[in-house]
Amino acid sequence: MSNQPIQPIVEFSHISMQFPGVLANDDVSLSIMPGEVFALVGENGAGKSTLMNILFGINTPSAGTITVKGKTYKSLTSAQAIGLGIGMVHQHFMLVPSFSVAQNIVLGDEPQRGILYDLREAKRITEKLVAEYGLEVPPDEPVKNLSVGLQQRVEILKTLHRGAEILILDEPTAVLTPQETDELFDVIRGIVRDRGMTVIIITHKLGEVMAISNRVGVLRHGRLAGVYETADVDERKLASLMVGKDVLLGLLERNQREQPIPEEPAISVRNLTVRDNRGLEAVRGMSFDVHRGEIVGIAGVEGNGQSELVEAVTGMRAIRDGEVYVFGKKINRLSPGKIRKLGLSHVPEDRLATGVAAQADITENLVIGKHRRWPFSVLRVHMRGGPARRYARKLSGEFDIRSAGVGTEVGSLSGGNMQKVVVAREFSFDTQALVIAQPTRGVDIGATDFFHQRIMDKRNQGCAILLVSADLDELYRLSDRMLTVYEGRITGEFDPATAPREEVGRCMMGADQAQDSKTTVNEASDG
Amino acid sequence: MKWKERGIYLLSLLISIVLGLGVGALLMLATGHDPIEGYTAMVNGALGSKWDADTILKNSELGNTLYRSTLLIITGLATAVASDAGLFNVGGQGQMCLGALVGAYLGAELTTILPFTAGWPVWLLIVVCFLAATLAGAIYALIPALMKVRLNISEVVSTILLNSVALTFCTYMSNGPLKAQGKGTQTAAILKDLEFTRFFKPSNLSQAVFIAAGMALVVWYLMSRTTFGYEMRMAGRNSRFAKFSGLKASTLAVTGMVISGALCGALGMLEVFGWKHRYAVDLSTDFYWDGMLVAMIMRYKPLGIILMSFFFGILKSGAIRMQSSTGISPELIQVIQAIIIFFMAAEQGMILRFRTWRARRHPQHEEVISA
Repeated sequence: MSNQPIQPIVEFSHISMQFPGVLANDDVSLSIMPGEVFALVGENGAGKSTLMNILFGINTPSAGTITVKGKTYKSLTSAQAIGLGIGMVHQHFMLVPSFSVAQNIVLGDEPQRGILYDLREAKRITEKLVAEYGLEVPPDEPVKNLSVGLQQRVEILKTLHRGAEILILDEPTAVLTPQETDELFDVIRGIVRDRGMTVIIITHKLGEVMAISNRVGVLRHGRLAGVYETADVDERKLASLMVGKDVLLGLLERNQREQPIPEEPAISVRNLTVRDNRGLEAVRGMSFDVHRGEIVGIAGVEGNGQSELVEAVTGMRAIRDGEVYVFGKKINRLSPGKIRKLGLSHVPEDRLATGVAAQADITENLVIGKHRRWPFSVLRVHMRGGPARRYARKLSGEFDIRSAGVGTEVGSLSGGNMQKVVVAREFSFDTQALVIAQPTRGVDIGATDFFHQRIMDKRNQGCAILLVSADLDELYRLSDRMLTVYEGRITGEFDPATAPREEVGRCMMGADQAQDSKTTVNEASDG
Repeated sequence: MKWKERGIYLLSLLISIVLGLGVGALLMLATGHDPIEGYTAMVNGALGSKWDADTILKNSELGNTLYRSTLLIITGLATAVASDAGLFNVGGQGQMCLGALVGAYLGAELTTILPFTAGWPVWLLIVVCFLAATLAGAIYALIPALMKVRLNISEVVSTILLNSVALTFCTYMSNGPLKAQGKGTQTAAILKDLEFTRFFKPSNLSQAVFIAAGMALVVWYLMSRTTFGYEMRMAGRNSRFAKFSGLKASTLAVTGMVISGALCGALGMLEVFGWKHRYAVDLSTDFYWDGMLVAMIMRYKPLGIILMSFFFGILKSGAIRMQSSTGISPELIQVIQAIIIFFMAAEQGMILRFRTWRARRHPQHEEVISA
């Protein structure tokens, strides 16, 4: 084996993939070597997932061939792919939430005793996998109770249980905290080193490409823009290959405040307590203010009450205790619609579940909230289709929403374009307060820069912005003030211009802020 | 773009109908019948032969086709309204029965139980009966809708169960408290003055068809051209998104279901006033399932439902003649109908396959939008 040239384990040859209206892959030829970590990067809609879905047997290519372990196929079925040792962890996890970890891992290959499902054996298999790969998971816990990072581990273990040798990870870090990302990378390094596995990782976080991969392939508009040894390129080079021009997140223009902050805060949270879906207290006595013309960033490891905080402020979740004021009006018992009328818009963290109606078209998704106004309706009753479509076309232009037309179902758009629909709608209300959660999750670098610019524009126009993000870089880049949260409490307040990351990180992990690093007195807490 | 899409849709629908009829023809050949003869009989049976101005009002075949189409249009639209709001109304039969019973009871007794209405003009009495029947259907749909949004009880299960409750209740009433003297299981006849004028005799078509047409028009407008219809659709597609966007998602869902029930209740009353003239246990409400089928095939699009109902009306009423004049068994006719329905239901899948196939052969015809 060692004295003959190494054959590629996977070879794409002139692969093209034609969807109705979209050429997702265009003559892509690419080789993956055994035992390497190969990063596939590209903007949203560049065709990364499509290419991997072809390898995993979900899509049938329109042209070209795939060679796996020396055998050439015109197309694969999922069963074939699994048989060839290919495993894929999708961006949206394919787990049964109410099943235990062990049950999920053996799903489709359940151990039996006679005709009965052998749960004990399932647990034993899981524990063996855990021991073998060093991926800690609680075997008996229902998957729905696990954090996103742990759920991802279950997905990986599932593919390992099925004997995967080639592991495809579709944007694995999009939902992870920095710590979880580090852990994942340790796992990847481990299985490559100890097991000789091949890992293909789809991502658009360039820092991660540099950190984990041996080689990197760049896709742009469905074409392969280049394949490089990771050591030979830098982030700037990759970014420009991805978007076809030089962009790297630089400084944003930030207006200095012209007038002192008005007395009354736009959003005011007082001793807020909120419960999560399980009835446990997720937010425990938070107090803070957001004034007009500032961005207040909430930093924290996911699952420390950020989602519940956002939902409480926007009326999507009942407030257990304490008060929330929007422009001076108490909103504790108001509906989301009433709160919107007070002048608050909201970009939710889960765009598919909350931010859009996926089966409705772009126009219908953009016009909602304004549909009872002229020119979209007459006397608030009769809808006019023409002006709505013209407006949707105008917004699509302004926010660079790429689609086959405004009659396209939003569910068929890529994640980044779907987010553009949400942002286009929410930013075009004439509101002076914005609550924004995870604005660039799963969004490529070009669009991220675009969203950041828009958020900063809103701030500079005098909008009050509450920004919740799991991406610390994002918070550093945008925030005027940063609050760290841990287990539903605020643990620190920082000025991003001066705050050291280690200190912020410590507060995110539950440490109390050191007295001398406090930037401002937290007046809110005694309200 | 929009018109092109619609054109393609209509064309593919037409193709699927032709394919369905084609397979039907093969079946007839295989069983030893002449398909041309069979289909001619079907068309004649559905449209009749009397088309000139003097005799058209005696064209009972045409009358029956129109009558059947009307039933399908209203029930189809009823299904569609609820479905737009995100709920599945399987309880149309029960709502219709109650509407019919209430309509029949008031049509017979209104001037007796409320003597002050005795002097009212006929049209006003009809309006009162119509509204009461509508209300009955609406309330009967409100129950499962509330159970759904408040207690998360599946409306499919509850509406099916409520069907039996309503049917049994109506049978009891027409055999007990409201039973007409000396007759079978039926209520007293409505007042002669209130009966709708029938035409195309002996078909069941009556003036009710105009009211039904009006209802269809109103519902079509409501669903496709109003802010309310739009809001209901959004709530039906994603209720969390609707709530997030400031709509009253639960209220909209309930309203959709209530409108659906109201349509069914009204239709029950029209059946009574149109030709049956009383509530009787043999009053058929089975066609509700056909209406649901039409709505599903047409993907709950109001205009499509109206058009497709006519086609179904022709199929249904033509089948009788097909049987009597060619001897094709009614089972075979049902099979042929099912095949045609299959092809129409498969329309969406077929067009997607066709497009993928075309895109592979001629990639340059498709625009690359990522450019």
